[in-house]
Amino acid sequence: MGRVLDLGALAGAYAARLLAESGHDVIRMEPPGGDAVRRTGPFLGDASRLEDASGPGDASGLEHGAFHRFLNAGKRSFSLNLDSAAGWRVFLELVQTADAVVTSRRLPMDQVPPPRANLVWTDVEEAEDELCAYARSGLLSLTGHRDGRPMLMGGQIIYLATGIQAAVATAAALYVLQRTGQGQHVRVSMQDCLETFVEQAMVEYTFSGTRTERRGNRGTITAVSGALPCKDGHWVVSQINRPGRWEKFVEWVQDPELMADPSLASDDAQRENKDFIMDRVLAWSKQFTKSDIVEEGQRRRFPSSPVSTPLDLARDPQLMARGYLTEAEDPRFGRIPFPRGAVARVRDQEIGPAPALGQHDAEILAELGYSRADHRRLAETGAIGGDEGDWGTTEP
Amino acid sequence: MRPDHPPLSRIRVLDFGHVLAAPFCTRLLADLGADVVRVESSRHPDFPWPSSYRHPDGRHASYLNTNRNKRSVSIDLKHPAGCDVARRLAEAADVVVENFSAGVMDRLGLGYETLRAANPRLVFASMSGYGHSGPRRDWTSMNMNLQGAAGLMQVTGAEGDPPTAISNSWNDYIGGLHTCYAVIGALTDRETTGAGIHLDMGQFECSVSMIAPLLLFSAVTGRNPERMGNRSARFAPQGVYRCAGEDQWCAVSVHDDAQWHALAEAVDEGGPDPRLAGEVRFATLPGRRRHHDEIDERIEAWTRGLESTEVEARLRRAGISASRMRRVQDLVEDGSPSRAYKRMAEPRVGSMLTTALPFEFSASALPPATPAPCLGQHTREVLREWLDVPEGELTELAGTGALV
Repeated sequence: MGRVLDLGALAGAYAARLLAESGHDVIRMEPPGGDAVRRTGPFLGDASRLEDASGPGDASGLEHGAFHRFLNAGKRSFSLNLDSAAGWRVFLELVQTADAVVTSRRLPMDQVPPPRANLVWTDVEEAEDELCAYARSGLLSLTGHRDGRPMLMGGQIIYLATGIQAAVATAAALYVLQRTGQGQHVRVSMQDCLETFVEQAMVEYTFSGTRTERRGNRGTITAVSGALPCKDGHWVVSQINRPGRWEKFVEWVQDPELMADPSLASDDAQRENKDFIMDRVLAWSKQFTKSDIVEEGQRRRFPSSPVSTPLDLARDPQLMARGYLTEAEDPRFGRIPFPRGAVARVRDQEIGPAPALGQHDAEILAELGYSRADHRRLAETGAIGGDEGDWGTTEP
Repeated sequence: MRPDHPPLSRIRVLDFGHVLAAPFCTRLLADLGADVVRVESSRHPDFPWPSSYRHPDGRHASYLNTNRNKRSVSIDLKHPAGCDVARRLAEAADVVVENFSAGVMDRLGLGYETLRAANPRLVFASMSGYGHSGPRRDWTSMNMNLQGAAGLMQVTGAEGDPPTAISNSWNDYIGGLHTCYAVIGALTDRETTGAGIHLDMGQFECSVSMIAPLLLFSAVTGRNPERMGNRSARFAPQGVYRCAGEDQWCAVSVHDDAQWHALAEAVDEGGPDPRLAGEVRFATLPGRRRHHDEIDERIEAWTRGLESTEVEARLRRAGISASRMRRVQDLVEDGSPSRAYKRMAEPRVGSMLTTALPFEFSASALPPATPAPCLGQHTREVLREWLDVPEGELTELAGTGALV
C-alpha cells in the first residue's frame, strides 16, 4: 500500500479517508493551529460548551468535531506550517516519499517541483459556499417539498459526495501508477461533480422537455413510492408495478377505495392518481408501528424501509451485524459505536481513531531522518506545531 | 498497458446489473476505459422504467445515458445452456458487477465461490440494498427506501419538517461510486497479490457513510443533531429566498460582518424603516443567528420584488455569496452550459447530451462516448472475443434458445 498526503477540505478529506479505508498510509497535513475540518460542527460531547468555544485557540474543540472524528479516522496527523520556509522544505521531502497527494488547498505551485513522474497529484476544487454551490448545480431545484422552500441536502453530504468522486479519480490514477510507473495530475471540480447528479432530470428534459421538480419525499421514478407517517415515525414504501403486484398491494392495504377501482392497476393510472393512492395508503399505515409495517411489507416483498434518524443508525442492527459499526474505545467518551466505513468494512480494514492534532509529528519526522533536536528547532521557529512532541524511544 | 491509455484499458467487466445502481457503477468503469459487457435477456426485461422517450428497440432515455460505452450479450440465465455461457464469460472476466438480491447469483450457479474456483483473479462486486449478510440481507429496496433508511431524509430539511428527499436516484449514484472505487482498489491490489476478492457492498452502508459524522455525533451524545434546513452554524444569515415570478429563488450566504453590512444596505435601499444596516442586534454573528427568522423576513420582503437573476447580480456586485436556484434547463441552455454534460452521437436520436466524468487526467486518455447497445447486439462478437467460441458452436448455442 502506498502513502497519501491529505491536504483536503471536507471533500478531499473524505477522498483521503477512502484511501485509508483501502489500507493506504494517509498522512493528514494540518496547519499547527488545526484546519477548518476540525472546526466543523456539530461537536461531540458537551456541544453547548464546545461549539461556542471552538475558536482558533481552543485545543479541546479541535479534537471533537464530528466531521474531523469521522473523516480523519485511520490517518496520521502531521502539523506542519507550510507557510514557513523550513516547514515547506519538510513538506517537499515528505512528497518525495508519497504515492499520492490529495489537496483542496492552493499550494504555492511555483515552489512545488513538478510532481515527480511517479506521483499522483489530485487537486479537488471545493466550493467555499455550500448553499450557493448547491443552488448553482441544479440540485436545489430537486430537493424539498412541492410548493415549499427548496432545501439544501443536510449533513454537508455534498462535500462527501464530491469526495467519493475524487477518490474514484485518484484510485484510477494509482492503478495506472501501479501498472506503468507513471503518475499524473488529476483535477476534480466540486461544481462538475454536483451537476452530474442532475443527470436523470437532464435526460428527461433534453429528450422531451419534461421538467423534474422537487417532490418532498415522494418518488420520481416509481409511481407509488414515498415516505409516510406511521405510529412512531415514518416509513417508505415503493410499489414496483410488475404484473400482479398492484393486486397484491391492494390485498395488503385492504383499502375499499383502492379496491373499488381495478383500473388503478395500470402504470399510467397510478402515475395520474399517485397523490390519491398515497393519501389512501397514508391513512391506513398510520395505525402501525414503523417496525411492524416495514417487516410486513418486506414479508410481502414490497420494498419497505424505516425512515431513520442518525440516532437510529447509531444502534442499527444491520450496521452492527455487518461490522460497519464497530465498538471503539474512545479516550474521552468510553466505548462508542464507530462507523468504520463502507469500503473498510468490505475489505475488513482496521480504522484507527482520528488522530490528535500533530500526534504523529515525531514519528513522521523520525521516518524522514530528523532528530529530536531538529524537531525542537522546527517547533521553535513555528514550522511545526506544539513542542518537540512525543519522541519516547523513537529517536534514531 | 501504456500510461496514456485509458486507466482501465483491457479490463473486462461483466455487468449483471439491473435498474440503476450497478449499471451506473459499470458506466463509470466504462468511462475509465473498461470493456463492459451487459448480460441481458428479452425473457427477463429490466425494471419498467418510466420515460418520456422509448425507442422501438425498447431502450428508454435513461438507459441510453446509463449504458453507453457498453456492449450487450443476450443470455437467458434461467436456461441451463445460457447459464453455462454466462459462467464461462465470468471466468474470462476481470470484474463481475451485480445488484441482485442476496443469493440470486448463487442460485444461478454464478456465485463468487463457484467462479473463483476457475478464476481466482476475479473481482466480484455485489451491491444489493443491504448487503449479503445481517438481519436485512433479504430486504428488497429502491432508491427512496434507502434515502429514508440511510438517514438522508432526516438530516435534510429544518426541525419539524417531514422527511425530505432529493428527487433523483441519489442512493444509486452513491452506491455506484463507492463500488467503483472499491473495484479499482481491488484491481490495484490484484497486481501485487494475484488474487481477486468478493466485494459485498451494501448500498445502505455507502449512503450511511455520507452522514457518518452525524451518526457519530448521535452515538456519543445520545441525541439527534439539529436539522439545519438551509442555515449554517458558521454563517448567518444564510437561506434560500423567494424571488419574483413562479417558484424562483435565490440562495444567499453572509460570511462576515462586512458582508452583512453590504447586504443590509442592499435590502434597505427603498425598503421600509427601521433600517437593517444600523441594527445593533444584527451586527455580529451570534446576534444574527439569534434573530435569524426576523432577518429572513426582511430579506425576503426585498427579494420577492426582484427577479432571481437581479438579486444574484446585485448581491454579487456587493461582494456577497449569492446564487439563484438553477434548474436543469439552465444547466443545458445557459450561456455557459454545464461541463458535466457532453454531446455524443446516438443513432436512435441523432445526438444526445450525456454525463461526462467530472474529473480530468493529465496523462490518461478517456475513451470517446459510444451509443448504448441494442439487446444482444454483441452476443456473437463477445463470445468470439472472450471465449474463442467457433462459429459452429455459436450457431448451435443460438439454436438452444439460450441466447435471447
